[in-house]
Amino acid sequence: MKSSDLLLVYTGTVIEEDSLTLGQLCKACGTNADMIISLVEESIIEPSGENIHEWQFSGANLVRARFALRLQRDLGINLAGIALVLDLIEEREMLRAQIAASEHRHVLG
Amino acid sequence: MKFKDYYQIMGVPRSASQEEIKRAYRKLARKYHPDVSKEKNAEAKFKELGEAYEVLKDPEKRAAYDKLGANWKAGQDFNPPPDWEQAFEFKGGGFTSDEAGIYSDFFEQLFGHTGFRNTGREHFNAHARGQDTHAKITIDLEESITGATKTIIFNIPETDAKGYLQLKQRSLNIKIPKGIKPGQHIRLSGQGSPGMGSAQAGDLLLEVAFNPHRLYRVIDTDIYLDLPVTPWEAALGAKIKVPTPEGPVDLSIPANSRQGSKLRIKGRGLPSKKPGDFYVVLQITLPPADSEAARSVYRQMQAQLDFNPRLSLGLSL
Repeated sequence: MKSSDLLLVYTGTVIEEDSLTLGQLCKACGTNADMIISLVEESIIEPSGENIHEWQFSGANLVRARFALRLQRDLGINLAGIALVLDLIEEREMLRAQIAASEHRHVLG
Repeated sequence: MKFKDYYQIMGVPRSASQEEIKRAYRKLARKYHPDVSKEKNAEAKFKELGEAYEVLKDPEKRAAYDKLGANWKAGQDFNPPPDWEQAFEFKGGGFTSDEAGIYSDFFEQLFGHTGFRNTGREHFNAHARGQDTHAKITIDLEESITGATKTIIFNIPETDAKGYLQLKQRSLNIKIPKGIKPGQHIRLSGQGSPGMGSAQAGDLLLEVAFNPHRLYRVIDTDIYLDLPVTPWEAALGAKIKVPTPEGPVDLSIPANSRQGSKLRIKGRGLPSKKPGDFYVVLQITLPPADSEAARSVYRQMQAQLDFNPRLSLGLSL
């Protein structure tokens, strides 16, 4: 018997693209629907689905929503400011990834 | 226990107005916020800052802190004065905190040692469902390709019977599903905060990140490899072996390939219903001219090839 046989291993479910409902997203963020609706209105997060009853959110939306709530709480930034910060940070991450990739190339070369 | 100089942490004089303290906090919070900052010790700094602000923004706590006197130096050994507890009614909670802010021993000695009473809404409902909690898990690319079991250890705030928040260390063994992508979440039902009374526990949501890999880069479900090739392999075409996370594969390089050309190996990216692809990015590598033989080959090219890479710059040779 291997030692790993003794372990209790939890199997989760993967949150697939666009699979969170408004209620699930609220619960996952610890916030209320009004707040999530404001985030959608500011297009900080973008659900799929025609109307509020059909809204489906992705895991990436979850990350952005939590990020926005933290910035609002800790830094007192309003939603328009948060939207701008998020876009700039995403751009920065992309540039960092490109720099890392080109440095990586130099190391191998 | 070491003394903490909250004024020094905030970079303000002891005489600072509440307005100045707020401004100093905002400025430093922007600099060290862990979501925004790339400073190495951002998280520790931000915590320290939050603690300093928690005390200095509250006139009552600030007055108590000021009573300790101005002669204390940061890091000096410290014990609260013997009459401290009678002088101020801080013990036993009464503070609110958005998160289970677990502050330093110094703070807790002065302003309450039992942690913070969680005054969240759920306490009005004796049977509220537990909250969802979040954690990050970092895995290797190979673990996504084959699937794996991983143990994660994390601190989780838990509400005890009296309604106090406490940090508890938990360790969980988790199955990493095959083909998980960076940025995806794994939901573990019932592993979040416990519910009140007979209510269900919340879920634990794990955000997946990948460790940087020595060879490969992952973009969505695709995997990229920079592959060094010789000039003659690129020019004449070749069949070469290429490493992939699932073992080496044979790849034909077409003749006249250029620097940076991308070659696709279909379906060799991250596994999923629609598997990603594996991209090889050619990096043409020049042999060094470090021998007479090598120099002579370069001279021969110079003599025989009519090649001007700067033609597009509008320059003649």
